[in-house]
Amino acid sequence: MSSRTSGPTNVLIVGVGGQGVIMVSKVLAQLCQNQGHQVKQSEVHGMAKRGGGVFSHVRFGAQVWSPTIPEGEADILVALEWAEGLRWINFMKPDSGIFIADCQRIVPPFACRDRGRGAEPAYAPQTPEEIMEQVSTGYAMDATGMAERLGNARAANTVLLGALSTALDFAPEAWLEVIEAFVPPRTVEINRNAFLEGRAWAMAGSKRVDETASGLHRHREVARHGPVNTVVEIIDEWCKGCDICVKMCPERCLRLDGRLVAELALPDLCTGCRMCELLCPDFAIRITNTAVTDAVTEAAQ
Amino acid sequence: MNMETEMNLQDRPFDINDYIRLNMMPHFLCPGCGHGIALRALLWAVHELGLDKDRLAVVSGIGCSGRLSAYVDANSFHTTHGRPLAFATGLALARPDLTVIVITGDGDSLAIGGNHLIHACRRNLNMTCLMLNNEIYGMTGGQVSPTTSADRYTTTTPAGNREPVFDACALAAAAGAGFVGREVTLQVTGLKDLIRKAIAHDGFSFVEVISDCTEIYGRKNDLGASPEMMLGQKAVMRPDTYRSTVDVPFRPNALKTGVLQQTDRPEYGSSYRAMVAARQRDSGEDR
Repeated sequence: MSSRTSGPTNVLIVGVGGQGVIMVSKVLAQLCQNQGHQVKQSEVHGMAKRGGGVFSHVRFGAQVWSPTIPEGEADILVALEWAEGLRWINFMKPDSGIFIADCQRIVPPFACRDRGRGAEPAYAPQTPEEIMEQVSTGYAMDATGMAERLGNARAANTVLLGALSTALDFAPEAWLEVIEAFVPPRTVEINRNAFLEGRAWAMAGSKRVDETASGLHRHREVARHGPVNTVVEIIDEWCKGCDICVKMCPERCLRLDGRLVAELALPDLCTGCRMCELLCPDFAIRITNTAVTDAVTEAAQ
Repeated sequence: MNMETEMNLQDRPFDINDYIRLNMMPHFLCPGCGHGIALRALLWAVHELGLDKDRLAVVSGIGCSGRLSAYVDANSFHTTHGRPLAFATGLALARPDLTVIVITGDGDSLAIGGNHLIHACRRNLNMTCLMLNNEIYGMTGGQVSPTTSADRYTTTTPAGNREPVFDACALAAAAGAGFVGREVTLQVTGLKDLIRKAIAHDGFSFVEVISDCTEIYGRKNDLGASPEMMLGQKAVMRPDTYRSTVDVPFRPNALKTGVLQQTDRPEYGSSYRAMVAARQRDSGEDR
């Protein structure tokens, strides 16, 4: 690669707060420094806390000037979370960039705005297979699953480090030396295994999609809830118009009609949460949630 | 209700219509009265525990809370003012096979029936006392009650209440109740779980339900309608699951909710029955 001789090598690591993005970038930076490279690293972490987006730029080479990677200049993109990886995919070199991603989904709260039961979150719809067609070298792994099978899901970032090690010209022993110095002493063994497993998995081909991960990826959310049909019955004769259901409905889909009796004004917004039924002091509301089992749903499942 | 549905009652999801007397609906409570929510939580807990309606006895006194026993489709007992615990004590001693639930109010149990409450707690007889605290004598015209908050206006305190407030849970705990808990009506699922624990406890269980009186108390004190009153209660509550101590100094008067006391003091009924059995055995030998 011409860029590696002329300029620095750029590695962009992205993920969600709490996953270990900073740990991955620190291991990489330390390793490069040990190998005699100049390293610059910059990151965003503070406001992300747990659950927010985190990214870290690592640049190393004979001479590095700027600590940040310009768009379209990253040699390698390491994503600890699937959608975060897709969010940064335009930072990769269009022709030669390497994409390493964990397929696990951490659905952010703002992707759950449709609060209906069984509603699909507004999460990145692209499947791992579709993304692999767009990149020259790519690994869509089930890193979390691999780490879980080794005994600790939190070692997923080390599994990705193993995959990353196949893309850079450093000896595995040098990687392990840095990782073992970084992780807590009692997790050294599990991190060592995680690194080796991730490395072995990525060595097996230059474009791989973990079958279990992509299967999980597509149907996890739908299977958990299943579509539900909600029926709201309001007994007019029992309702005294106290306004509790109207004020307490999280979706604001009830109102009092001209006779001061509750009515379901916006049935499309109702999620069947049963808040109105539980808080009605006059027992005037009854919610029935029944699973939808029509032919369309069965075909989809 | 025919036998088949009766048998399947516990297997079905909770439907309050299975547990109330439909011919008496709608009930007499004012719009927005929290007592209806408390009754739902009680019946929901009864359903989840799988209790047979024929083995359930609901005892109540006088007041807004007193009417609730009449709406429950079970054995119900509407007694004199302040005395539901006294009647229930006799009932629980005579019929230990029944699950005895007492529904009472703040005026009913703390003022008029204050002595009955402390002695019921002292005896620790197996029953559950649900005290619906709406801070007022609602049915009798809005007089001040032992739990009316400071400076509130009622028909008998036109210049604001100056009497200190009774902490019913502290009273019950100090008097020896085996189980003491408190919950607000807005947390209806939590209230149901608390009542479930209270009924399952072997001994005297005291549950204070923070209810709201919109018509007579809330309106007179500019507390808003029932949704506002319920949210106001939630704003000051501090659940027992709340671990942080950070803002405790800033909320010294916070309303503690959840299980406040649970002890394994001996239950009175079983020791009483053991004594009776021993006496009968001895007198039989004497003859």
